[in-house]
Parts: sequence; C-alpha cells; structure tokens
Amino acid sequence: MTTFLQLHLLTSYPPACLNRDDLNRPKTAVMGGVPRLRVSSQSLKRAWRISDTFHEKVSDQMGIRSKELGRRMRDALLNGVALADLLKPGTLQAEPDGKVSDENATKWAWMIAGEFVDKKTKDGEEETEGEEPEGKSKKKVKKPNVSKETLKSEQIVFYSQKEIEVLGTLIQSLRESGRPPTAEQLRVLKVKEANGSADLALFGRMLASSPDFNVDAACQVAHAITVHRAAVEDDFFTAVDDLNTREVDAGSAHMGEQGFGAGLFYSYVCIDCDLLKENLGGDAELTGKTIKALVEAAATVAPTGKQNSFANRAWAPYVLAEKGSRQPRGLSLAFMKPVNEYGEGMIVNAMTALDTMRTNLDKVYHSGQPLPSESINALTGEGDFQKLLDFATGSGGV
Amino acid sequence: MRDYLVFQLYGPLAAWGDIAVGETRPSAMTPTKSAVLGLVAAALGLRRPDTARTEAERAEWESRHIALAEGYGMAVRIEALGLPLTDYHTAQVPSSGTGKNRKVFSTRRGELTHGHKSDLNTILSRREYRQDAFYAVAIWARGNSPYTLHELRRALLEPCFMLYLGRKSCPLALPLQPEVKSAEAVEDALASMHLEGILARVAEAGGDAGWTKLYTRFQPSAPLLLWDGDAETRLLPEQTIIRRDATLSRRSWQFTVRDEHQAHLGQGGQL
Repeated sequence: MTTFLQLHLLTSYPPACLNRDDLNRPKTAVMGGVPRLRVSSQSLKRAWRISDTFHEKVSDQMGIRSKELGRRMRDALLNGVALADLLKPGTLQAEPDGKVSDENATKWAWMIAGEFVDKKTKDGEEETEGEEPEGKSKKKVKKPNVSKETLKSEQIVFYSQKEIEVLGTLIQSLRESGRPPTAEQLRVLKVKEANGSADLALFGRMLASSPDFNVDAACQVAHAITVHRAAVEDDFFTAVDDLNTREVDAGSAHMGEQGFGAGLFYSYVCIDCDLLKENLGGDAELTGKTIKALVEAAATVAPTGKQNSFANRAWAPYVLAEKGSRQPRGLSLAFMKPVNEYGEGMIVNAMTALDTMRTNLDKVYHSGQPLPSESINALTGEGDFQKLLDFATGSGGV
Repeated sequence: MRDYLVFQLYGPLAAWGDIAVGETRPSAMTPTKSAVLGLVAAALGLRRPDTARTEAERAEWESRHIALAEGYGMAVRIEALGLPLTDYHTAQVPSSGTGKNRKVFSTRRGELTHGHKSDLNTILSRREYRQDAFYAVAIWARGNSPYTLHELRRALLEPCFMLYLGRKSCPLALPLQPEVKSAEAVEDALASMHLEGILARVAEAGGDAGWTKLYTRFQPSAPLLLWDGDAETRLLPEQTIIRRDATLSRRSWQFTVRDEHQAHLGQGGQL
C-alpha cells in the first residue's frame, strides 16, 4: 500500500504573465470547450525548486558559512578528530598521529574544498592540472578558487549539516585507505546533502551520462488552469523620451504590446510518500521536512515571470490536502463548467464547486467515504496552515 | 465469450507519445498501448529499468515489462477525441563541461545559481497534449499473461506508483473505475463506459442539475473503437493503421509495430 498525499490549491493571480509561450504571451488551454489561462507544471516546479522557502524548510537546521573549512579538513585528516568536532566553538587541538602525511592532508583537503567553490579559468595561461594523478593535460583548465597554501576559499561557502556529516565520513575513509579522494567520491559530496536529496527525491533526475544518479520523481504536478473562462489581453504601452523637446513631434520613443491575464487557478499536486521516503534513503524525518517544504512552496511561491512588471505574488487562499492509499485523482472536473462570479463571488463559488466535486466523486466511486483531509480557507479564516502542514508532514513516516 | 478489464481514462490534459526525434514531442490522438500498459505497470509497482541500480534488477524489470506488453490485448472506445495543445517548453541548463570538469548539481537551484547567468543555455521543446478527451479501455488476457485481470483491477484501485495519462504532468481527474466483465464482443464490454452516463452519475450524486450539461462540454462525436488484431468483435475495420507502440525494450526505449483496427460505433455502441 502506497500513501499518496494530494494537494488541491486555488490561487488568484492579478494581471500577470506568469508563464509565457514563444510569442511572449501567457500560456492557455481549453477545458470544457472554454479557453483558459494556464501555467505549465514545469514552470510551477521551477519556481518552487529554486525558492528560498523550499530550501530553508528542507534544511531546517543551521549550516556553516566559512572560508576556512579546508583547513579544518586538513586538521581532521592529520589527527583523526571528527570534522564535526573540529567545527564546534572552542576548537580542540590534537597532535597529528602520523597516519596521513602533512603533504597529503593538505593536498586532499584542497581537492575536497575545491568542490564547493566556483572554478575560475585563468585567461591566456597554459596550465597543467598537476594535482590530478594523470596530469597529462596541457589544456587551459579551470582552477578552484582555494589557495593551496592557506586552504582558504576566496568566497565564503555555505556547508549544510548533512554535507559536513558526509565530509566527515569521507575524511575517515581517506585516513583508513591512505589514498587520495577519487573523482567519484568528490562528485557525490554535494549530491548527498539534504537540500539536494529533497530536490531530487521529489522532482527526479535523468542523467544519461551517470545513470547512478537517476531518480524517479516522487511528485506529480498538473498544469494549473483557470477555473473560469479567460482570454489573453494585450497591454499596449508606450515609453516617452524625457529629452524629447516636442519641437519636431510629441510622439513616444517606443511602443509595444504585452500579453497578460488575470485568473483564479486550480493546481493539483500528488506526492508518493513511500517513493519519496525510499528516494531519501528511508529517512522519515527528512521525508517529513521535504513534504512540508513542498506544501509551503506550493501555497506561497508564484512563478516569477514578468515579476517586475506585474508584481504577481500570490498565496493560495484555499488549500485542501488529502491522504490515503486510494488511487489518486485530481478534481479539475469541478471546473469543466466554468465558474462565474455570481452568487457568493468567484473564489467562494470555486471552493464550493471543488468541495461538491470531491463529495460527488466519493459518493459515486467510494460509497461516500472521503479520504482523511485537512484544509484552509483564508477568505473565511477557517483552518490553520500549521495544522495542514502537520497533517501533510505526518505522511513522512508513511 | 471472454473476460475484460475495463476502465476509463480522463484528465484535462493527456499526452500519447508518438515517434519523437529532437525538438518536437508529439502526441497521438488516441492512447498508445505502451502508455496504457505503462499505467498498469505503475499500478503494479513495476519499476523502470533505467532507474535500476544493478544489472540483475535491470534485467528483472525489463522482462516483467515485456511480459506485460505481450500478455494482453487492448481495445479503446473514444467518445471525445479532444483538442490538440502544443506547449512551448523551455528549460535552462548550465554548459556541461567535459572530462573531469563535468559537474553534477545537487539541486535545481544550485544548477541555476552556481555559475554565471551567461553560462546558462536554453533547451527548447514543443510538447503536444490532448485537451478534453475521454477514453474507455478494455484489456484481455492472452495465453501468456503474467497477472489475472482481477489482480490488475486490484492494482489499479490501490496503485503502487502514481498514475498518469502518458506524461507525469497529466494526472487522472476521474477514478479509473476498473471492472472485470464478461462479454461476447469487446464493444459490449465497453458499452457501459458511456461518458454521458458517467457524468450524469457524478452530477446526480450532488443533486445539481447544472452539472448534467457537463457532457456537452466534451464535444462528443460518434464513438470510435480501436482494437488489437486478436480482439473478439462483430465490427469490421474501417481502416487499419500501423502504430509503433508495442514495447520491445523498456530499457532502450524501443518499440515495435502493431496493427490497430479502427471503426466508428453507432448509437449505444452497437453496429
């Protein structure tokens, strides 16, 4: 039995151009024979994945910002003290135990630290990559911005707790094997960090070149479609030339058109909680955090398209979360018949249509048995987002 | 007389992947057999060989997919073919280095913010979808079927993995309502899967007369039946087309050809 967490959201956007096609106009779709505005699932996922909201909620723990980690790693290599201990305030000192030579410790720490910083190409210089075992290349190579002498990086780098944990394990294994880190060990350093795992576990990845990193996405996102008839409108705009003295003409310096649209969108997200947990190596706590991060991002993060022109940030006034092992289904059928603004107004009508469809489907297909659920309604002030998050996060343990 | 597993497929968007080379990712007008059996495979919990970690796993999952592809015949009844939609899709990707320079990013955020903006390239694709389409599917077991129809039905009711209509962004918007039925001909097994009847039941459940107009929103036409060569049917094909949608290898994404017969049905699904 698989636990599916289904999210249904209604989000109202003011005039905006959230997600554009090749003609720079908002994307559209036809549903119920009626034109609608559309935001593609890819656009929604991108906005959520790169949002601060998502990353902060997943980490939910203090990382370390430092230029110095390279030096601490060298110390850990030299004296066998766990890296995590070295990073604590009041650094403990221990004498090198001779397991790893000073030269090797410095070199390996430099190689590892280099993985966390931007690499820079020195123009016009022929450099050899002497630090690599083969070292044959005479080509211009990119060098990490970490000083080989001081082991300090040029920029201050953020290391998550999970990354530090992984680094600590790597250092222990290097001490035991007495061999420099392999390309593969260096490559996976960042892949294993919490933000990265959460991102990949939810949204998946296919790398033809490294199938080891392939992950089947545990999350399904539908294209968001307006619950009502909506057409793309055109904003005709002009820009004036401030230095035009009107001696020759008083026309504008530039004319243009920008397609835009406003609408109340229905979006649907389905998370396979079991697959998510499996993708996260069985870590129930991280699974919970990941779910929470996604629910928060879905409810509060908007695609950033044309943000400066339209300031189209919007939070979902209505979120319904359902949880169960039953075959998941969206509720878009509720909006086949476009919702109008009469009666209680469009948002309330849309909420009613959504609830009615949910009830009706349950009646017809599941003898009236609803799935356990939690919802918020910001119009009436009903529900509590924290409670909804707890309900959703609870699926982390599956 | 034969047993059939019948179920309905509806979502606001669907995509039935056709031969795709390069920028355009087309959708066929009607479901591909590989997509429908892919959905069944997801319900059963069959994994994709390309996410396997060992060669043994890869071979194991490959053989189970092939058994599924060869073990069942399929017929589809379509009352609403829907409208085409072409989505203009862009994705940003950082320049990939070569050799040791190749970087693997742990997050999409990292990928997009790590380097300079000028290092980001855009890949374009045009992805086709069907909008407002409704399909009813019948599946029958052949001599070599790996699961009984009842086992498939149970899997569809409580699937292992999430189900979708050809592309992950196309979720189901009506329960599949899988049922096992006995019938003389495949068109009889599908006769009850009337879009109008299904929508009327949903509408009546809420006692809302307004919902009964839902049916007309699908722009239904004379139902079309598509069937595999070994179907039991009274229909004569109006045309037979060759579709490249029979799974040959899930592992290398290879598909072989299959004959699909097509004919329109009269009122009530009869000749």
